[in-house]
Amino acid sequence: MRRDAVPSPLARRPGRRMLVAIALGCACAALAGIAWAAGGDALIVKEAFTPDRLGAAANLSITASFASSADVPPSPIEMLTLYAPAGLGIQARGAGTCTMVTLEQRGPASCPADSRVGFGGGVAVVALSGQLVREPFTLDFFFGSTAHGHLRLLTYVSGSSPITTGFVVVAKEIPTHKPYGLGFSARLPQVSTVPGASNASVESAFATLGASDVAYFETIHGRRTLVHVKGLTVPRRCPPGGFPTRAAIEFTDGSTLTVNPTIPCPRG
Amino acid sequence: MTTSVALPWVTPARSASSNGTQAPRTSGAQAVGTSGASASGASAPGTSGASASGASAPGTIAAVFHPDRLGAQGSFTVALDLTGGGTTDPSPLLSAVLRLPAGLGVEVPRLRACEPERLRLLGASGCPPQSRIGVGRALVRASLGSLLLEESISLWVFLGPLRNLQATFEMLAQGYTPFDERVVLSGAVRPDEPPYSEDLVLSVPTIPTLPLEPDASIASMSLTIGASRRAAREANTTVEPTRCPPGGFPFAAELAYADGSTQTISTTSPCPG
Repeated sequence: MRRDAVPSPLARRPGRRMLVAIALGCACAALAGIAWAAGGDALIVKEAFTPDRLGAAANLSITASFASSADVPPSPIEMLTLYAPAGLGIQARGAGTCTMVTLEQRGPASCPADSRVGFGGGVAVVALSGQLVREPFTLDFFFGSTAHGHLRLLTYVSGSSPITTGFVVVAKEIPTHKPYGLGFSARLPQVSTVPGASNASVESAFATLGASDVAYFETIHGRRTLVHVKGLTVPRRCPPGGFPTRAAIEFTDGSTLTVNPTIPCPRG
Repeated sequence: MTTSVALPWVTPARSASSNGTQAPRTSGAQAVGTSGASASGASAPGTSGASASGASAPGTIAAVFHPDRLGAQGSFTVALDLTGGGTTDPSPLLSAVLRLPAGLGVEVPRLRACEPERLRLLGASGCPPQSRIGVGRALVRASLGSLLLEESISLWVFLGPLRNLQATFEMLAQGYTPFDERVVLSGAVRPDEPPYSEDLVLSVPTIPTLPLEPDASIASMSLTIGASRRAAREANTTVEPTRCPPGGFPFAAELAYADGSTQTISTTSPCPG
């Protein structure tokens, strides 16, 4: 099954209730500005650059909220492929990197500060004995080491109550074509919880990537110098209709969804 | 030309060189020597206390004079720990009222005011050094992702422009890493009842971190008002009261948090030995 989503921040996906599994999804979703929905219910996505100015170092933030009136959990996402607009800058050169082993064994606090890409969180949900059990989770995004010249992003997903969990999702840079300039693809692990319960999926999520005012002290030519991190930079030109993004989602039930949302051009 | 300046919390006028900047004397300008102590709100000698409503952890306050000698010019330091010794981040602080002991004065040799807009634009160097009345440090915390992020903040306190003949002050809070942020807090000085003399009333704006992430909150703060007499010729100094009430000099802080909770914490600084 394949569906092309409407280029609207409020899309609908008929047929069945679905989940919005965002674990890493959130990282990539933030880049893509995804908006997608479920049968009868909708997922509302809001995204923004802060500051909202062409060419500026900025935070890219996104919220994804699944509005469901039903008591059936959505289906988990298995694979997520996302494309960001051409011209979006990522200052990865000179940035630190973290490793999957470090994250898994010692947690996000052990990663170099300058490998940090962003923060996020959300609410996961599982069905257990006919009831939905929700759990807040956090997201920590880091640069991983490049592979064959391609960027890798590591996302540490962590929850503590009622179920303690922590795992790493790896997003790999993939080739893109215009009007996109950057793409990532990630396979999401399925998170089992307790016997008899469904795998965890995501009800809502948010993420903030990049840094408009992050700085670190470095010793340069023998002097302690405050170095500002550019992080993400908004493209210098905004095409008519806004910055195009795209996401292709594969669910564990075999269905797929493609959405093409846009990030509005800065005002003025 | 020499000018004597009296603010509501300034000790009796004292001569100093001036370029002509003067402040009017306000009524009741000299809050000196009201050492009467129907100790409303003051703690027992040498102890600290706290009362709270709401969820915030009980904080602590400590105060000390430098040098600690009756009538001596110098400075005093007040340290606030708002975490109650815990490692969690308290709710963001909305306002703080610092209650100072009766008889405490501030000696301002040459009155200059700092405009908050200059502080925002230019930082501490944007204001006349004669307007600086204190420095300090703060530790702010925010839960971002799975981390409890901490940032050390530098504080500078400046005399602000008079408003309705009332003294004001501006506090510059500057953090550098991980967030290079600058916030200016505005405050006012108001009279208090014995055993206190004056209050420093501080409004605390939100301390943003990242979009979608919670605001930062102040975990601890230490302020030194005044300066060593040797620090600079025209440095503003405090004057330790000439009389010490039984049990020591009372200090207190009233704190209001974003979650609606409030706290009153108090301490006494022992009388000089």
